Amino acid sequence: MPAMRLEGLTKHYERASQVVRALDGVTLEIEQGEFVAVVGRSGSGKTTMLDCAGLLMSPTAGRVLLDGVDTGQLSGRERAELRSRRIGFIFQEFNLLPTLSAIENVLLPLRYSGADRRAGRRRAEQLLDEMGLSGRASHRPSELSGGQQQRVAIARSLIGEPTLVLGDEPMGEVDTETAEMLLTLMRRIHRESRVTFLIVTHDLDLAAKADRIIHLRDGHLVGDERMECFGSPVAATAAGSR
Amino acid sequence: MEIARNLWRRKLRTTLTVTGIVMGIFALTTMGAMAEHFNVLLNGGITYVGSTVQVGDAQGASIGNGYMALSTLAQLEKVKGVAAVSPMVSLLADPGSGAVVSVTLPDYVGNIDPNWNRYDPLKLSLSTGRWVTNSSRGEVDLGSSIAAQFHMQMGDTIALPVRPSGAQPGFVNQRFTVVGILNPTLTAPDSAAFVSLDDAQTLQGDELPTVLQGHVDPYQLITGAVVYGKPGVNLDSLADRINAEVSTVKATKPSTLISDIKSGEAVFTVITTATALLALVIGGLSVVNTMIMSVSERIREIGLKKAIGARTRHILGEFVAEAGLMGLIGGVIGYALGFAMTALLNASDSSGGLFLVTPRLTALAIGFAVALGAVAGLLPAIRAARMDPVRALRAQ
Repeated sequence: MPAMRLEGLTKHYERASQVVRALDGVTLEIEQGEFVAVVGRSGSGKTTMLDCAGLLMSPTAGRVLLDGVDTGQLSGRERAELRSRRIGFIFQEFNLLPTLSAIENVLLPLRYSGADRRAGRRRAEQLLDEMGLSGRASHRPSELSGGQQQRVAIARSLIGEPTLVLGDEPMGEVDTETAEMLLTLMRRIHRESRVTFLIVTHDLDLAAKADRIIHLRDGHLVGDERMECFGSPVAATAAGSR
Repeated sequence: MEIARNLWRRKLRTTLTVTGIVMGIFALTTMGAMAEHFNVLLNGGITYVGSTVQVGDAQGASIGNGYMALSTLAQLEKVKGVAAVSPMVSLLADPGSGAVVSVTLPDYVGNIDPNWNRYDPLKLSLSTGRWVTNSSRGEVDLGSSIAAQFHMQMGDTIALPVRPSGAQPGFVNQRFTVVGILNPTLTAPDSAAFVSLDDAQTLQGDELPTVLQGHVDPYQLITGAVVYGKPGVNLDSLADRINAEVSTVKATKPSTLISDIKSGEAVFTVITTATALLALVIGGLSVVNTMIMSVSERIREIGLKKAIGARTRHILGEFVAEAGLMGLIGGVIGYALGFAMTALLNASDSSGGLFLVTPRLTALAIGFAVALGAVAGLLPAIRAARMDPVRALRAQ
């Protein structure tokens, strides 16, 4: 069973009395444990696809199935619960809460999932250690560099032991060297935990280090490449799904 | 903890908002303490008049205004349903204190009533000393307020009535030795100087109009009488029977007196309510304003929390708790300042003061502040909780 299946995913919205077709009938499957990059120009529908896949947005048409569950049938509360238990998010601008320390930011998702706080704290310390931030647990975001903040955000995305991590331009706010380091870190986590990663990026060099690259253009799926090893495509599928 | 930190992020704004609540709750505490004081005072009056029938001269405009013959007591005792009758002699203890408008009961000299503690639900007790008896001469039991006001202790001497400044040349008073000081009742007896009936009549005789002095025996005159009914007797009906059977007196129905007192109580309830409304407007609007700004500034944070699994009730709870905490802080500070102010004013008032901070008022002031904050924060919190996570995350 695929970790995620998008079926004819369509999202239209109205802006200035004009219909914007952000996504237009995208169909794809992502297997459990894949590391997938989504690329495309600005306005191609990458973020909209991620928002729908993360259950933050309801599609105009089509379905999102997570582990075979049709999420369109879920109530708002059930969707929130599913997000809390199964999905981790990493955002471009880190989105750390300025009043919380690094470890408190990591622990934030557990506040809403009702998980055991003591066990959660141990795991948060372990995650910060894995991120190389064990000495920074009590620091506020303003006391951390951009790369450190994003590592805290990555730790936060993993605290609930999700099966799927969605990243919206997670390396977009850091310099090239830090971006490389963050990607390497995510790849290591992926290798060790086999969590499914779906990362939106406009940086093709970084995308080339994924297992698979999905290309979007004007809301359509125009390419789906699987890589044998970093940078070497084994299959290129023009998976236009109109 | 996060809630407190969020409030402290905008120190000036939070301080101003809390100050608004502090002002409102300070006003509520001080005005409420005054209202509580009067309510206790008036409730004591209700207890007293509700358990007795007050009888005065038929020609008197009100009870205690005019004179009755002492012999009338025997007629009153014969009315069906009467358990006991006590003579009542009452006059101002401190005629010189006469403020034009007074918000407390005036100090008065009254005769000791041996029936009081037997029949009246409001029991009097001594904190020190002994009771004045009917055979006592030149002895007085002082209520707690009047004792404090004149700094009287056991064995001290007090001249009653107290000579006013600019007293008329014929002003006469008598000296009394303090033999007992009563425990506070928070109502009328606190302002009383209890002497024997004979002594009270002597003082009353000193105050008789010049044309009457020498022509009437002051020991045969009383100001009024207190009638106690037998158990189960309807006191309103008893008052009617007294008026029908004893033509020289006027008995007032307890229900009429209670109604008069309650109308006075209503004034203080209006004062407290008006103050609460003031607190509501000042504090409530500032909390609404602060929370709207707080929500506007933290849209991305709300979006993030929703994205990572927070449900509507979580967001709602967090913002309402934040507003409620502001209410709590403002409430505690406002109450503490109000408490300090009333304690200070009471301490500077020799009669014991006008303010009474009760546990009920404490709970009301702080509970009201928290509820005010929470309710005022509800609308912005609902706005936050209903926010679309995607739009919130992308907000600038």
